[in-house]
Amino acid sequence: MIDEIGANSKELLGGDIQIDSGADPLPNRTIKELSSLGLVSKSVNFFTMLSDKNDSSIFIDLRAVDDYYPLYGELKTEPPKANEYLFSQGDMPGILINENIKNQLSLQTGDEVNLMGRKFIVAGSISSVPDLARSAVFGEFAIISKGEFESFELRSTNSFLRHNYRMKINTEQFAQNNAKVISMFTGSDNIRVKLPKDSAQNLRSIIDNFSNFLNLVSVSAMIIAGIGISNTLLSFINQRSVSVAIKKSLGFSSIVIKFIYFYEIIIILFATSITAYFIGVLSPLIANYMIPEVLGLALKPSFSVANYLNIAFIGLLIVLIFSIPSLYSINSIRAMDLFRNTFQPVNLYFSRRNIVYIVLLTFVLVTYFVLQTKQQAITLSYFFAFFSSLVVFYFVARALIFSLKRFKGFYSNSYKIAYRNIVSKKSLAPIITISLGIGLTLLLTLSFVANILNKEIAENIPAKSPDIFFVGINKNEKSKLEDFILDKDDQAELDFRPMVSASFVSLNSVPVESIVSDNNPSGWVVRGDRRISWLKKPRENSPIVKGDWWMNGDSDNMYLSLDYKVASDIGIKIGDKITLNILGREVEGSVMNFRNVEYRNFGTNFAIIINSAYAEKLPYEYVGTLKSKLETNEIQAQIIKEFPNISSIKIDRIISKVSEILNKIFIAVSSISLVVIVIGLIVIVSAILVQANLRKYNNLIYKILGVDFSTILKAMTIEFALIYLSLIAFSISVATMASYYLIDNIFALDWAFNLNLTLILVLSTGIVTFVLILVANKNMFNPAVYPLIRNE
Amino acid sequence: MSNEAIKFNDVSLIYGTSTNQTKVLKGIDFNINSDEIVSIVGPSGSGKTSIIMLAAGLEKASSGSICIHSNEITVLNENELSLIRRQHIGIVFQSFYLIPNLSALENVMLSLEANQKYNMEDQAVELLTNFGLSHRIDHLPSELSGGEQQRVAIARALINKPSIILADEPTGNLDEENSQHMMELLFDYTKKNKTSLVMVTHDSEMAHKCDRIIEIKDGKIA
Repeated sequence: MIDEIGANSKELLGGDIQIDSGADPLPNRTIKELSSLGLVSKSVNFFTMLSDKNDSSIFIDLRAVDDYYPLYGELKTEPPKANEYLFSQGDMPGILINENIKNQLSLQTGDEVNLMGRKFIVAGSISSVPDLARSAVFGEFAIISKGEFESFELRSTNSFLRHNYRMKINTEQFAQNNAKVISMFTGSDNIRVKLPKDSAQNLRSIIDNFSNFLNLVSVSAMIIAGIGISNTLLSFINQRSVSVAIKKSLGFSSIVIKFIYFYEIIIILFATSITAYFIGVLSPLIANYMIPEVLGLALKPSFSVANYLNIAFIGLLIVLIFSIPSLYSINSIRAMDLFRNTFQPVNLYFSRRNIVYIVLLTFVLVTYFVLQTKQQAITLSYFFAFFSSLVVFYFVARALIFSLKRFKGFYSNSYKIAYRNIVSKKSLAPIITISLGIGLTLLLTLSFVANILNKEIAENIPAKSPDIFFVGINKNEKSKLEDFILDKDDQAELDFRPMVSASFVSLNSVPVESIVSDNNPSGWVVRGDRRISWLKKPRENSPIVKGDWWMNGDSDNMYLSLDYKVASDIGIKIGDKITLNILGREVEGSVMNFRNVEYRNFGTNFAIIINSAYAEKLPYEYVGTLKSKLETNEIQAQIIKEFPNISSIKIDRIISKVSEILNKIFIAVSSISLVVIVIGLIVIVSAILVQANLRKYNNLIYKILGVDFSTILKAMTIEFALIYLSLIAFSISVATMASYYLIDNIFALDWAFNLNLTLILVLSTGIVTFVLILVANKNMFNPAVYPLIRNE
Repeated sequence: MSNEAIKFNDVSLIYGTSTNQTKVLKGIDFNINSDEIVSIVGPSGSGKTSIIMLAAGLEKASSGSICIHSNEITVLNENELSLIRRQHIGIVFQSFYLIPNLSALENVMLSLEANQKYNMEDQAVELLTNFGLSHRIDHLPSELSGGEQQRVAIARALINKPSIILADEPTGNLDEENSQHMMELLFDYTKKNKTSLVMVTHDSEMAHKCDRIIEIKDGKIA
């Protein structure tokens, strides 16, 4: 799944790696060196004029590509495969144009156009490009072959050229080759290297979060597996207590018996790990079969011996850590119990020696696992949280026992039976409380995180996004456009914002280039031209998180409001002085506040806002968005006809690729959530197993003593309810704190408590657990006394 | 209450399927009076324990009728049988069958609580003290000797003052001294409370101390 999503990120970038060399191409020697590390696709971007046969002109972003383009994904055209014409030896060179050029110049496939004094034939229109070129959607964009570009004989000193090299790195020694390419350009001032994760900021954070979520699930799965092993092994030893005692009476020492069982476990681990690995390797095929084809999720099985050994080693460490307290319970089974026919249910056994073993092995496991993850500090904190929760639930069990002892006067025979089962000296209530508590807490935590993550992804699959984005709306045309649209659809949602182009010059008189490094995630804000806007008061969807709004009316001074994240990344503080170049004039303004800016809905949002009193002196135009129930193509065609000077862009083009990826992540998170439920149930089942034998035996004794079925059932219900109710509050609290920490600090999303989800999970887990308890004790419904009396 | 505590009338018990049947009991008839002490003897596999289980309502007879204090129990359901056990019957096993994670006192209290008798801890302590276990009250079964465990098991059976005591080889796991002591406890109680005691035993000396002996051979009364 990660590979598939990674491949999509590569599509967004157009390669495994992208090198931007700016106005100058890379030297041939460098290109040769790059070619030895992978396939190199060269392209050049520049702005130029395109005119039709009527000499109507338009300023376009032109991309010249070689025949390797695109390295990943597909260039979709109308008619299909029109791009092949670019590299054919036709009478006239071909050009692919995007829909904006097509609409504005009313061009059709086969029409002639002029480009820098040469005639080109329109080979087709671009439906989508894999490497999400912003101008392909929001501007006027065209593609020609690199061969035709060469024929223009433009000098490399032309500063408007942008040379890009995208690479598909050789798969053999991919990591080394990738690192080598990066190192070739490290420290270079003019050359920038971009990786797939840099291709789209919004997706990057979601993919990172998905990766975080996978990390969380993998740690949880390990812990769950460990508790499951511990409980199952304890149940296994309880069932074999007579056999262990007989072995001891025959002269086997505890350590020999422990090794006998340990070897059994290792053999089982070996067999199950191989089986599980093959099931895991082949599971993508099943997933492909089950996931709707329309979502285009093509998962590929991948087998690696190294991967298997890695997983088997982690599995071995988990088995060792969690089986030690169970295996050491063998020490408490005595051969003398055979003579007295009194076998106590054994409990987890912690001696100084095995605590030392457990601590050492846990240290090895945590270190080994953490070193393999990217988010090492986070992974470490997951482990810490888990071990802390173990302690919390141990004390919950103790608190329950303490409280019940205070209420022993409660008169009901069912309650009394339940009470004795919980408070007795060798009660298994603490193990059950810890297992159930951890199981429920993990289930709640992961479900809270998955729910918020999925909600976030669902919100990013832009149902709320506008249908059309307008640019270049003249002040005089704004109200006419507004009236025209509302006349067609009076429910249409319109949002117009004034804007002006500006560039960032300095922060506190220090040139911006010396402050912001190349890899600063918010560097895009201070590089090149940026559109800024103004408001009289902050919007609800971008509230102030620091500082105060300015007093309206001061037209002499410029005040700035910045995106909080941008300010944090760049290191801007309230009160700092920022100099902007607005329409050729440098203006200094004071930073007054920071806002939480929402870019993800493709609406009109601005990283920089200035005070409207100052801004209204500037010449400006509007940008706007439209969301309408009308068919997008139809309303766009009518607007183009009525307002030929306004550029309108259908947003669905840009969101389709993003949506595709988000859908895939959404499915992944949903599928993993199901896995979480299954692993949660495993712990619960193991907790039930621990007490199954003792409970069966006790129920038979109760029956002999004349306790009827309904009383036993009520007692079991009360016992379960007391344990479950005691841990619910702590599980919800721990899960709430853990999910808040994860969502707020690591996933950087908005955390919200979901009461319905909590109730559903707590209730359904309780019901499922109790049903499993009844199933595990099904003999209670018709318990045969005969085997007990016969000592069978 | 009639003087007849237990009545078996032509009782048969068959285990297994229709093609592979084991006839454990074949038309057993006997009456046991309210203050009578009866021993059931016979070779292993003759069906002695099966009689105890049928009398306690823990096993269903294949045919015939069984009455406990004139109540026909073969027609009763599980809950009604539980009620009969709670009100009239105390059972003592050869292997004690104490609940391992409960103390001696808690095991005895369990029997009281099954009968919805609360705040009777003093009575349980007194009984255990009478049985010489005052210093073992809070001990788990695994911390008690065999004799002590059997005394706890007997205390558990007697604490509700049952009118019928069913004992399945109660001294089978005990030494001679403990066996003697155990029997004294049971005999004293039955005589003092005019209770019926039905005891399965292999010990002919013990059997001859009873008012009557029922000998079972091949599923029939010999």
